[in-house]
Amino acid sequence: MLDAVLLILREVLEAALILSLLLALSNKLQLNYRWSFLALLLGVAGSWLLAHYAYDIADAMDGTGQELLNASLYGAVILSVVVLSLFILPLAFSSVKDIASTRYNQLAHQQQLLYFLFVVIVSFSLMREGAEIWIYLSAFAHQEDAMSSALIGAAVGAGIGMSLGAIIYYVFAFMRQRYFLPVFLLVVTLLAAGLSMQIAKQLMQIGLLDSGKPLWDSSFLVDEHSWLGELLYALVGYDSRPAPVQGFFYLLTIAPILVALLWRIWRLRVTTHE
Amino acid sequence: MKPTINYALLVLLCFCGSVNAEVPTFTIEIREHLFYPSQLVIPANAKVKLIVINRDSTPEEFESYELNREKIIMGGAKAIIFIGPLIPGDYPFFGEFNPKTAQGMIRVEN
Repeated sequence: MLDAVLLILREVLEAALILSLLLALSNKLQLNYRWSFLALLLGVAGSWLLAHYAYDIADAMDGTGQELLNASLYGAVILSVVVLSLFILPLAFSSVKDIASTRYNQLAHQQQLLYFLFVVIVSFSLMREGAEIWIYLSAFAHQEDAMSSALIGAAVGAGIGMSLGAIIYYVFAFMRQRYFLPVFLLVVTLLAAGLSMQIAKQLMQIGLLDSGKPLWDSSFLVDEHSWLGELLYALVGYDSRPAPVQGFFYLLTIAPILVALLWRIWRLRVTTHE
Repeated sequence: MKPTINYALLVLLCFCGSVNAEVPTFTIEIREHLFYPSQLVIPANAKVKLIVINRDSTPEEFESYELNREKIIMGGAKAIIFIGPLIPGDYPFFGEFNPKTAQGMIRVEN
């Protein structure tokens, strides 16, 4: 049962974290939460389909289907997070009053896009993680005792994951407006960058990219097996031995947000000097 | 401009095709939630192709923090996982769905 708790918690944690962050953002931008029902529905249904067709997916593209599909799902999530960040970034530079009035009105026109991004980010994350849970549970389909124990474990794991998500939500929802957007941007940027390393990992696994010598080995500092390691993995994609190509993907993801940030700062300086 | 792109694509295609042609291959089997062999010696500083065959009817996930790999292998199915080039050392792996029994180690030697 403990195995089931840990496995499901590991899978649920990231999706719960992402969902909580976006719900907190919805709260701060005075958007409604309806998108989250659609995202959860699509995520659960999608994950079931992925698990159902797991054999076909794994066999596709000369046995690289699983990795290519995972890489695509990660890619879609990362792209959506980057686009979302670029939208949110200007808001971080406006005063609280602005957000409430003019900025918010501007945002109202882009609400549809924001909802679309939210749904993609949450449902695609859930699909990938959820499929693994379905596949794991399918192993117990013909053993009633083991199944009930696994299901209890799964419920406990999911419960812990969602509780942590709720804590994250409240931490962010109660954060002062001034700090919320910068902190939110920082967290989602690191999260997306962490996910981008997973794309590199998938492509290395099918031999499309070469692993090379790790950039560093920090396993003596924070072990990936440990609780802290798992938490950091979910938060920022922590990897104690990242391959050089993973580092490249990381920087590539951060770059557009960083460039947009620097451009904003530069513009701010120019306008204040005028 | 166009011929240049076509040429570049052709070169890339040849490169991708040849890149995994001469890779040493090793096979691991999963039976009753155990890995056979549970210890595998592979050469250092070389890309290696692992073929993991799951003889059980239940799914398993080949996972290793040290090797930085994870892959679901459905019941009765076969999976290919590329690892390396690695420096000499021990790299444990395990089956995430049956972590208590499914344990193994890849030893990388010069």
